[in-house]
Amino acid sequence: MAYIRRKAPHPKLVEAQGELAAGKMSRREFVRIAALLGVSASAAYGMAGLPAPARAQGTPVKGGILRVSMAVQEMSDPSTFDWVEKSNQARHIIEYLTYTGPDNVTRPYLAESWEPSDDLRSWTFKLRQGVKWHNGDDFGADDVVFNFTRWLDPATGSSNIGLFAGLTEEYDTGEKDAEGKPKMGQRMRSGAVEKVDDHTVRLNFSRPILSVPENLFNYPTAIVHRNFEKDGKDLSKAPIGTGPYELVEFAVGEKYVVRRAARPYWGESLDDPHIGGPIYLDEIHYYDHGPASTAQLAAFASGQVDAIYEFDVASYDMAASIPNAEIYESRTAQTSVIRMQMNQPPFNDKRVRQAIQACCDVEVYRELVYRGRGDVGEHHHVSPIHPEYFELPKPVRDVEKAKALLAEAGHAGGLTITCDCGNTNGPWQQQVLEILKEQLAPAGITLNINLMPAEQYWAIWDKTPFGITAWTHRPLGTMVLSLGYRTGVPWNESRYSNPEFDKALDEAEAIVNVDERRKVMERVQRILQEDAIMVQPLWQPKFFVASKKVKGMLGHPTQYHLYHRVWLEA
Amino acid sequence: MLILAARRFGAMIAIMAVISFILFVIFESDKLGVAGKVLGPYSSLEQRELWLEQNGYNEPFLTRYLAWVGRALTGDFGQSIRFKAPVADLLWPRLGNTGILALCVFALMIPLSLTLGVLAGMREGSWLDRTISFGSILTTSIPEFASATFLVAIFVFKLGWLPGTSSMTGGFNPVELVLPVLVLVLYDFGYVARMTRASMAEVMTSQYIRTAVLKGLPHRQVILRHALRNALIAPFTVIVLQLNWLLSGVIVVEVFFAYKGFGKLLYDAATFGDIFLLQACTMVAVFVAVFSQFISDVGYTLLNPRIRFN
Repeated sequence: MAYIRRKAPHPKLVEAQGELAAGKMSRREFVRIAALLGVSASAAYGMAGLPAPARAQGTPVKGGILRVSMAVQEMSDPSTFDWVEKSNQARHIIEYLTYTGPDNVTRPYLAESWEPSDDLRSWTFKLRQGVKWHNGDDFGADDVVFNFTRWLDPATGSSNIGLFAGLTEEYDTGEKDAEGKPKMGQRMRSGAVEKVDDHTVRLNFSRPILSVPENLFNYPTAIVHRNFEKDGKDLSKAPIGTGPYELVEFAVGEKYVVRRAARPYWGESLDDPHIGGPIYLDEIHYYDHGPASTAQLAAFASGQVDAIYEFDVASYDMAASIPNAEIYESRTAQTSVIRMQMNQPPFNDKRVRQAIQACCDVEVYRELVYRGRGDVGEHHHVSPIHPEYFELPKPVRDVEKAKALLAEAGHAGGLTITCDCGNTNGPWQQQVLEILKEQLAPAGITLNINLMPAEQYWAIWDKTPFGITAWTHRPLGTMVLSLGYRTGVPWNESRYSNPEFDKALDEAEAIVNVDERRKVMERVQRILQEDAIMVQPLWQPKFFVASKKVKGMLGHPTQYHLYHRVWLEA
Repeated sequence: MLILAARRFGAMIAIMAVISFILFVIFESDKLGVAGKVLGPYSSLEQRELWLEQNGYNEPFLTRYLAWVGRALTGDFGQSIRFKAPVADLLWPRLGNTGILALCVFALMIPLSLTLGVLAGMREGSWLDRTISFGSILTTSIPEFASATFLVAIFVFKLGWLPGTSSMTGGFNPVELVLPVLVLVLYDFGYVARMTRASMAEVMTSQYIRTAVLKGLPHRQVILRHALRNALIAPFTVIVLQLNWLLSGVIVVEVFFAYKGFGKLLYDAATFGDIFLLQACTMVAVFVAVFSQFISDVGYTLLNPRIRFN
């Protein structure tokens, strides 16, 4: 129910409308941008002349328990969540300021509306009134300010600091590093997060940024109560949220149960195809059957659960053979990157990294590993489904070039490297490395694969010099680049640092017009690709399965669970 | 006899002491590593040092070890990092679950393998012997993960008769035990049956059995009264040793069927690097291993008066 509160439309919106009319912008992209600029989703769809997404067919039935097979993990601090599963558990209890649907359009959630300044540096969020926390407190600006303050404190260890880098500043800590240079720290800029009144918050960025509403639905950005720290910093012990469900039972590795709260849910009156409305399900249960999709599928096949979190491509036929199974497939920007730390030998030599990339035939991976499904990776972590994706020439395999580069780097006699692999996203990661091993061999590079259990890999994912890491879907290319490749951000696992890249990324983030942004993205993607910090084999499609009696289920490319509009057919 | 038991018991305690020390050296020598595990990868050096100070890690190594042994003896194994709960609270219910699984396996496997073993060993080389021997070699040589996959494909996906996982999330459900028990029995009965067969066959060729037969005793009486008593001594030891296997050897089956037993707990602890849980699980597994050896030794001596360990 956001509406344009300003008297005149945002200049960027006028600009976008012009481009839509001139055929320079696709209708879908227009809807996305209009929604980011504060236009309600239904109005934006109307302006673009597109039908708004409809609700699932049929007459919803209230009641029932939805049972889902998914890993049940600890979920103490939502701001440091590093698994989507953790956020799926928490998402039924705590909520976000915005919601990005499977159509890539961002909608108001705990924020009722937002308004960016003309230069896109200052963003004013109007928060919903009448929203209550489970303990009876009113939700308001203090909660939001508290959350931003926590996220932007490096001591919290939240990855959100990378997303909202424009709200922070570098400062001299007064300490010196080993070389005697001053140690720089990062902190929230004073005045960056401003409480305007009890239900209005303004974010003042140091540079223009468009993706603020989208960033606010990134999975570690759920809003916790302003007393979260005082209550012991543990959501599972003090499960206070604004959502429709309350925590009933929680045992890590076993079971997670939420029940619809007895008190009325603030979102009941929301008129949106995905969020709010009357909440149908009585309870949502997650059962942990381990990470293997075969066990999850076996549980589903025998009716022990109604849906599973995901299954891998190897189990596709098995899933399809189960009667009454509805398979949900989504094209996503989920991927794994075989990334190299550019400050660790031998990867501190750019020529070595480039030689490794030059050995790759990227086309092969999706054919051999994903049965020709998914998209080809291009070593720059921007997906063809990202709106601002610029199509660079596809990487070509050139073993001679690789050999020459290696010789130049002093490895003419060959090079042995070891890649850590935890199969955190399934055995396909290992298969990809085995293909890479074959591709590297002709250039004289021996690749050893160091296999380890998934959870062990997650303990070292950002520390190992060479490893394969899974990255989840994000609606914008700039978002994932800000999180993972900007100098010094917590999730910068490759220790990548290139001021030129940071500058180009800043520039891209400030441009609304997607065609204009794409031009800058050409530079962003090219710098990243040429610095050769990763081999990116492919973009994965994602599958999950649910019983046909589960209605209103959505295949979200992020694999986020939100079951407000889901019901069970009697 | 008592002296023998006491001596064996003493050896058991000594073995456990040595292993516990080795464990402690492996897991707790790197103090900062322990703190990092507990506080998470984002914790700072200051936070870790503070934690070490608060938790008595700055004491000498030997003092820490003895304190740890003292706590372990009273059942306090510390806090699990992954499950965020006291290790003892996790350990006992999980051991109970594995106990139930083991009990079901034993209840099925012992009568089955003894009967088949005796039947096969009675007439060495007969068609019955050949069939049983071939069958038991076949099932024993199929690894558990393979038979589990086959059985799930048939009974869960094809026929839809049995539940595909055994996590007991809706409370204890005996039907969920069928597949794991079946897999374990299939894998294990052949081994015990073949041991019984060998022992039985050996007894059948002995002098006193020949005497009994020549005396004109009915075949039935020869087998039941004379042959079985001696033929079952060797399988007894084997069966007691299966206890140990059923505790820590069932990891594959428990993980496959998501059964919340001791094996799954050990697996989770190991993959997550949950130090305190891993210490406790290992000690329990070691205890069961040496204790079943102890029972087997003492029981064997009781059953067979010819054997005396000096």
